[in-house]
Parts: sequence; C-alpha cells; structure tokens
Amino acid sequence: MKDDVFAKVENQYVNYGTRARELQKQGQKLIGYICSFVPLEIITAAGCVPFRVRGDIREPITQGDTLMETIVCPFIRSCFDLSVKGKYDFLSGMVIPHGCDSMVRSYSTWNYSLNLPYFHFVNTPSVVKESSFEFFEEELKTYKKSLERFTGRTVTDADLAKAIRLHNENRNKARALYDFKKSNPPMISGVELAKVLTVGSSLPVTESNALFDEVIAAVSRRKEPPLKMGPRILVDGPCVDNIELMKIVEDSGASVVADTTCNGTRDALPRTDEGGDPIKALARRYLDKINCPKTYRDNKAGTFEGDAEARFGDIGAYAREFKADGAILYVYKFCDPFGFEVPARKAYYESIKVPLLHIEDLYSAGTIGQLKTRIQAFLEMIG
Amino acid sequence: MAEEQKKPKKRMTATQAAASIGPMVKEFIAGAVRAKAEGKQKLAYTFIVCHHEEILRALDVLPFWTENFAGVCGAKRDSERFLQRAESLGLSRSLCTYALCGIGFDQWREEQGQMPPESPWGGMPKPDFMISTGQILCDPRAKWYQASQQYMPDVPIYNIDLPYPLFEKDQDHRDVWGYYHKYIVKELRGLVKFVEEQTGKKMDYDRLRELVDLSDRTWNLIHETYELRKAVPCPMGTGDAMNTMVPINFMMATQDSYNFFLNLNKELKDKIAKREGEVENEKYRLLWGGGLPAWFALSDFNYFNSKGASFPAETTYRMVAPLYEMDLPETKDPIEHLAWRWLGYWTFWYDKARKRPGSEPDVERLISFIENFKIDGVVMHEAFSCRTWHVGLIWQLHQLGKIYKPIPVYVVTNGKREKTYRELPSLILESDIIDITSYSEVDTRNKIDAFIETLESIRKNRAD
Amino acid sequence: MQCVLGIDMGSSCTKGVLMAGTEVLAQVDSLSGGDFKLTADRIREELLARAHVSARSISHTVATGFGSKSVSYADSMVTDISCHAKGVIHLCPTVRTAVDAGDLYSKAFRMDEKGNLQNFLLSGKCAGGSARILKVVAKVLQLNVEELGDLALKSTKKVEFNTGCAVFAESEAVSRIAEGVSKEDLLAGIHRALAAQLNALAVRLGIEKDYALVGGGARNAGLVKALEAVSGFLIVVPSHPHMTAALGAALIAAEAGRP
Repeated sequence: MKDDVFAKVENQYVNYGTRARELQKQGQKLIGYICSFVPLEIITAAGCVPFRVRGDIREPITQGDTLMETIVCPFIRSCFDLSVKGKYDFLSGMVIPHGCDSMVRSYSTWNYSLNLPYFHFVNTPSVVKESSFEFFEEELKTYKKSLERFTGRTVTDADLAKAIRLHNENRNKARALYDFKKSNPPMISGVELAKVLTVGSSLPVTESNALFDEVIAAVSRRKEPPLKMGPRILVDGPCVDNIELMKIVEDSGASVVADTTCNGTRDALPRTDEGGDPIKALARRYLDKINCPKTYRDNKAGTFEGDAEARFGDIGAYAREFKADGAILYVYKFCDPFGFEVPARKAYYESIKVPLLHIEDLYSAGTIGQLKTRIQAFLEMIG
Repeated sequence: MAEEQKKPKKRMTATQAAASIGPMVKEFIAGAVRAKAEGKQKLAYTFIVCHHEEILRALDVLPFWTENFAGVCGAKRDSERFLQRAESLGLSRSLCTYALCGIGFDQWREEQGQMPPESPWGGMPKPDFMISTGQILCDPRAKWYQASQQYMPDVPIYNIDLPYPLFEKDQDHRDVWGYYHKYIVKELRGLVKFVEEQTGKKMDYDRLRELVDLSDRTWNLIHETYELRKAVPCPMGTGDAMNTMVPINFMMATQDSYNFFLNLNKELKDKIAKREGEVENEKYRLLWGGGLPAWFALSDFNYFNSKGASFPAETTYRMVAPLYEMDLPETKDPIEHLAWRWLGYWTFWYDKARKRPGSEPDVERLISFIENFKIDGVVMHEAFSCRTWHVGLIWQLHQLGKIYKPIPVYVVTNGKREKTYRELPSLILESDIIDITSYSEVDTRNKIDAFIETLESIRKNRAD
Repeated sequence: MQCVLGIDMGSSCTKGVLMAGTEVLAQVDSLSGGDFKLTADRIREELLARAHVSARSISHTVATGFGSKSVSYADSMVTDISCHAKGVIHLCPTVRTAVDAGDLYSKAFRMDEKGNLQNFLLSGKCAGGSARILKVVAKVLQLNVEELGDLALKSTKKVEFNTGCAVFAESEAVSRIAEGVSKEDLLAGIHRALAAQLNALAVRLGIEKDYALVGGGARNAGLVKALEAVSGFLIVVPSHPHMTAALGAALIAAEAGRP
C-alpha cells in the first residue's frame, strides 16, 4: 500500500510548481534558480521563496531556440525554453550565479527575454583563496542589497541566521533520508528520494522541512525495502533533475544508493556554519563546501593522485559510506566543467576500484532507449 | 572529412602588415622550442587577454600561447589527429576544440617522450609552468591546463581569477568595482609571487611600470589605427585583422608590437590617400559582429571580397579600447593600474548601453560600429565548440533588430505607399574554430551568395 | 519566340521551368540521380520537347540549388533562397514571409512585394528541423514520404515526439511503435516537432503576413496544419510549391534579359 506522503510527492513531482503558483497568487515572491551555487538563505531571509527551475526531457525545445544557441548545455536550454513558454510565469525573479559558460554567457538572454521584475547575477569566484572569500563576502552583500531594493525591506543578520538555521534543518533531514540508503537493500529507493528532493526544491524551506519529516516517518515505518538486493550504484554528474536515469538503473535490478549530482547531495547536504557572521558562513558554504568542477582547487600535492584526492575525495567518501559497487558518470554534451574532468575522474574511480560507466547524453526522452542498453550492459558486467 | 585532405588556400591579404604575420608566428613557436632547449628562459603556457604580459615580460618569462598553437594546427588543417587523441582520453568533441587540440597534443608528447611526428612548426614544448585563468569569461581556460597536468604532473599551475561585474539593469558597475579591483590586484600580486618563485628572480617594478605604460600607449595606437578603417573604401578588413590580432594578443608590452601598429597606421593612411580599398569595387560594408573565425577557412574572406564586400570592423579579438575614453581612477602602482584597465575594458560599453532603451553593452557596441563604419549588414560565426564567444549571438542580433532599424524602405499597405524602417540584414555562418569536419565550403559559399543577393536587393530598394 | 529557363537542381530532385513572358510553357521535375550534368541536360530536352520550341529560343538560363554548378548551359547562378522569394511572390503576391523544410536544412526568408530578399535564416546543424526526419520515419514505418502527411491528419491522440535529431529519430520512432502508439499519432507528433522548428526560424526573422510554406514540404497537408497550429497564422501554400525555386529562377532569367 502506497503511503499518502509518496502519493503527495508524486503529484507535486509530476505537476511541478503547483504549490509555487498558489503561493504567488497569495502574494509571495518566488525567485527561480538553476544551479547549486545560488545562495538560498539570502532569498529566504528576504522573505521570498527560492524555486528550483527544472527542464522537461519530454518537451522538444522550440521557442528557446529562437533566442538561445543549441551549443548551450541542453539542460539549461530546456529550462530556458520552458521559461519563455510561460511554464514558470509565477516567478518574480531569477538569480544566476557564475556557474558555467552556458549560464553566464546567456545571462543577458535570460534577463531580457523573461523580463522579470528581479534579475541578479552572483559572481561566485573560480578559485578558493583567502582573497576569494573576501571578494565573495562583498558580492553576497551586493546580492543581499539587491533583494532589499526589490522587496523594500532590510535583511538583518538575525533574518540571515534564522534562514541559515532553517536551511540547515532541511539539510539534516535530507541527510537522514540519505541514511536510509545505507542498508542493503536500501529502505528508500533512488527514484523515491530524487522525487522527494525535487519536490522539496519547489517549496518554501519550512514546507520542505515538514515534507521531509513526513517522508522520514513513513520510511521509518516501512517493514519491507522497496527494492531487492542488487548492484549498489553511485550517480555522479551535474543537474540531473528527473528520475529517468535512476529509474532505468532501478528497473534493471540495481539501486541508486548515493550521488554527487546537483539536484542530489550537492544541493542537499553541505551545511552553512551557524553562530558567527552569517555572510562569512554563507561565503564559505557556497564557495568551498559545494564541490563542483567549476571551482578550481589548487594542486597542493604536486602529484596527480594527490590532486585527484583533493578534487574528488568526496566521491570516494560517499562510495565507501554507501558501499557502492559501481558508478555512473553522467555528463551532458556541451558541458565544459564536467566534460574536461572526464579523464581525471575516470582515473580517480580506477584508483578507488569502483567500476565506472561514463555516459554522454543530450537532455531528451528520445535517448532513453540508448541509455537502457548501456546501463544494462554495465550492470551485467559488474553484477 | 574530405575537406581535411584539401590543402588550405592561402588567404590574400589587403595589407603588407598582415602578410608579415605568418612568419612571425612561425618564429614564436620555433623560438619557444629553441629557448626550451637552451634553457635560458622559463617557458609558460598561458592564455591571451589576461592583462599579465607585462608581469611575464618584466620577469623575462617566455609566454607560449596555447590557443595560438591550436589555431595554427587549425589553419594548417592538421588538428584532427590531436582532436581524436583527446577524444580517446574521454573528452567530448563538443568541448572547446582549442583545448582538445592542446590536451591531445600534450598527452601524445608526454606519452612518447618526444614531439608527435611532423608537429606543426616544431610543436608545443613542455612548459616550466602554466598560467591559466578562472576568469568569468571562459570555462576551458580554467579546466584545460588542469586536464593537461594529469599528463605532466610536475608542471605547476597558477590560476588567476579575473572577474568583472556583469551588466545589470538596476546597478551601476561603479558601485561594486571597488571590491572587484581589490580582488584582482591580489590575484595579480599572487601571480607575481608565483612567477618570482618559479624563476628565482625578483620583480623590477620600474621595468614593470615602463611595460605597462608601453602597453597603454599601444592600446591607444591600435584603437586609432583601426579607426582609420572608417574610410570609404575601407583599406583593411577582418580577414587581415585576424592576422593583426597577433601583435595585439601575443606581443603586447613589446616595442615590436607598438612599432607594428605604427607601420600599419602609416600603411593605412597611404592606402586611404590613394583611395585603395580592401575591395576594388566596394559595394557592401559588413560588420563581423561576433564569433571566432574558422581558422581553416580564412579564404572565405576573399570570397566575400570577390563579391564586393569589405569588412571595416569586427568585434572578435578587439581586445583593446582607448584608455582616454575610460575614466579610470588614477594610480601610480602598475598592478593597480592593470586591474583598473581590466575593469575599464570589460565595462566600456555599460554607460552607453544604459542611455538607449532596450540596449545592452554587446548590442550597443554593434550599433556603434554600424554607425561609425557605415555598415550595411552584420555577419556572425557560430563555432560549435565555444560557448564563451558564441552564446548570445542570436540574442544580440534579435535585440539589435528590435531596437535599431536604420534602413528606410517603402512598403505598400492597402494600396498606400508608406515609408518605414527595417533592421540590417544579418548572416550566421556555422562551423568551428579548428574542427574542419563541421565545415562545408559549398554550404558556406551558398549562404554568402544569398546574403550578397539580400544586400544587393536592399541597396537597390532603399528609400533614400 | 523568346523564352527563359529556370532550373533548380536539388540534392534529391531537379525541377525545371520554361517561360515566355509571364506564361509558363512547360515544367518538369524528376529525381536528380547521381549524374547532375546528365539530368540537367535531360530536363532541358524534356522542357523544349513539351513546349515545342528549340534551344535557340532560350535567351537566358538561371540555375539554382545544390547542383547548380553542374548545369553546363546556365548563364548565371542564383541561390535558391532568392529564387524561392521571386517564385512565391509571382504565385502569391501577398506573401512576405516563407519557410521551406529542405532535405539538408530548412530556411526562412522575408521579401518585399517585388520578391526582393530582405533577410533570411538557415537552420543550424544538429538543430534538427530538416525534412530528413520524415524520410527516416517513413523508412521505419515502411511508407512513402508522400503518404505521411495525410496519415498525420488522422491522428486522434496527442503524442509528443521528443527528438529533433534525425539520427535519434529512428530509434525513438521504433520505441514508440513498440509501446503501442499508432502510426497516425506518431506522425502527427513528428509533424508538430518539425513545424515548431520551422516556425522558430520564422519567428527569429520576424513574421510579416502573409506567411507561406514552400518547397516539397508544402505538399504535406499534415505539415501545413501543424505549422498553422504552432504559428497561429493561416499558412499560404502556393500551387506547385515544389516548383517555386525553379519558377523564381526563370523569372530572374527574364529580368536578366530585359534592358
């Protein structure tokens, strides 16, 4: 018997944004984002609601192509296409960070085409030095000021501290959900968790917290695991904002036990330090604690192996913690940050002895057949 | 694939200055190979447009411009084997093909312990260190050397972060550029420290000041020289500018670069006095409004020329702007000045863009060139592997067409003849910077023909 | 009598038109085959035979299209875009914007009331939007390309076809049929996807009424309907739409002959 909460999640996953539209009608300001680097706490502290914009692999990109080149990351293109088609017309604004060329170089295109009342660019540094934090703290203050101008109210340190606390609660609860995957077989499937996290990213943080609590309770009550024992897979990659890849894995008798994707642990787990200067803490979380290829980490070791450990050690940690039998490195065509790292990541997975399947994909339901073939062959190989 | 086998047709240049470039570049590369063998100078892989040449030259470091080497491979139509090598390592063909060429070449060289067979102009020597840049402009510039370092782990990297504030409708860049400046200065000082460590030398700040002053003067001279191309007929086109970009981007902060532009300036003045144009019967003046050129197909510029089209201006590789129009804060410190110059360059069109409804810096720059250089049409090139310079071109043309309609035409509506204004015609070419498999000469020439027909029909039917 | 000849050598089909003044004396179309020069010669012979005139009466020939360089008797060559514009205006004088779903790539163009080109756009590589996708799917369904449009009109259920790329189109078509999607619904989905790509080109140019579909694709009723649905415009379809470029070439030849 399906739990009520999972039926609720399914409904909001499929009809993504219905709650956001309700909130907008009640006068709330929804601020959209497409990348883990957007500091959400500042949006919450300003009294607005952060909303993660998604693409749709079943929607052929049409209107978007009249304004945006096809060499842009296909996920970003899809988000843009849906946006110009009005799917997210309840948004009052968007924030785009210095994530990658695809979003930075199309900033004016987004800004002028959507013509929302609020649009802002957060210039996240590329490197992690003391001077980078100094710069980023100023940049975050600029971002805060822009939201103050937009909302007409000051954002105090107390507001920020409260928002940080709420978002950290969300991260703790997400962690608790991930912990359900440690057992063999996991008590929550990759597909289920992905849907829960996705829906969570469309709600105000307080509602997301409440939803996660419900899910934690429901899963705790489970007597039977949702999947049979099979190969345990870690999914590594950028914004994977739909369940299709995980569904193929789990329909084939394996389970997705861990991930290092944007809509997964990259968004959901790193905590912001509490108790000190909130801007400093946010700068630290959003520059250093998030681990994304776009952030250049100095090779302090002087060797490739040392460098790889510094850059990819979090993947190894997850692989060990969740006892991964194999991994899928899923990269979009036209993705520079991940694309350039494929050889180094491959070498790293070899060094931690985790078999790897590297897939380069478009962002379209049309490739599902090809994905199935590759993934099934990989699972047979490691199974 | 068939295009790779055809020997590239050498482009005919309009100026002697442009013609002198080829041998210059060959000497850079051969010279670097020699210098490496002699071991007297440190060799650094690095990227253009980082405002750091002065620092490198003051410390007597020989920069090796890896983007240039890839461009040379492309122009010689000998990049495919390096691109394939990169693909075999797991890199996607959809990535910057300059980087793929470079990484493929590096891995090959390191694996073999010697230069790949018949390397173009002697090949890329292994560097002593690499200076990359995580600047806001281009992801590959932060990832490329990191990827190559996997195959030469003993070569250290310094990654300069060089941000600039993006154009925001509701925020003046001067409100934020103070803290941008502070950060850039620290990054550049960090570069100085790194290079001092690598070379064992100490920075001579007097020499640095001289070099910064030299490059400032060179910037202004380049701008004034290119302004001469406003003349009708236009004495020098974008084809030549793709050669003369070499002293701008690879020789900045050298007396040779300054002298080159003195000579070019004189040559253009001579041609203008004799009314000598890039094209004998100039009928159409075109703006190269965006996109890196297809290095293997520069002869397409001659094809445009053969149809009576000249290119008085381009945005590509125009990496200088007149300092006397920038209004930068004064400073005696050369590094602080470099950081202001960086910010001044990237925000150059912001103020103007704010004055025109619907405008935006890149669009404003297009309009400025169109008006000042008497432009009839805009050409863009979409290179599939480069998001940095090619994302946004479609939108720029769209916005340009929306806010700027300079061509008067008569239209007949319901039997009545009225005068109205239309946007400039535009052409989008597509291929890549060095991957020739993306290029079809037949297609490209066909598109150019159709565009020329469009220009001709507009010329004949203008209402003025 | 003085005539002019316009010949459009496409990569798959060649069309020829023989005109005297504004009267079409003969028109012919056939497959281009492998030998373009031979086909061009044959087309001219065929036209002359049908019109009962000799080659001497041809004052000017304009060749256009992919194989135009192979037309040994051409006096001049003009791009197919310019020819389409002239041809469309002649047949439908109110058209100012047109799209053509070509085999290699698609085009959109705008013209004035005399058929002079004002601006044009070609679909990019790897952006889909060429009619090639119909050929691929026809093969999968074991139908002739000509039958696809009418079948699409019989669709009863809206089904999304996700792929713009002709390479992936085959595997997606096969999967959808295996899932139980009907031929008619699948074809309607594909036509919708193709129409949306075509329309996107026209939108980028700025659509000015009247808006036409030209080229071989205009004979596809399913495509016309899908284009109307996505654009919100009534789509003008010239008679003999696959002949517009050849007609335009002949008209340009006539202009060249005039003092």
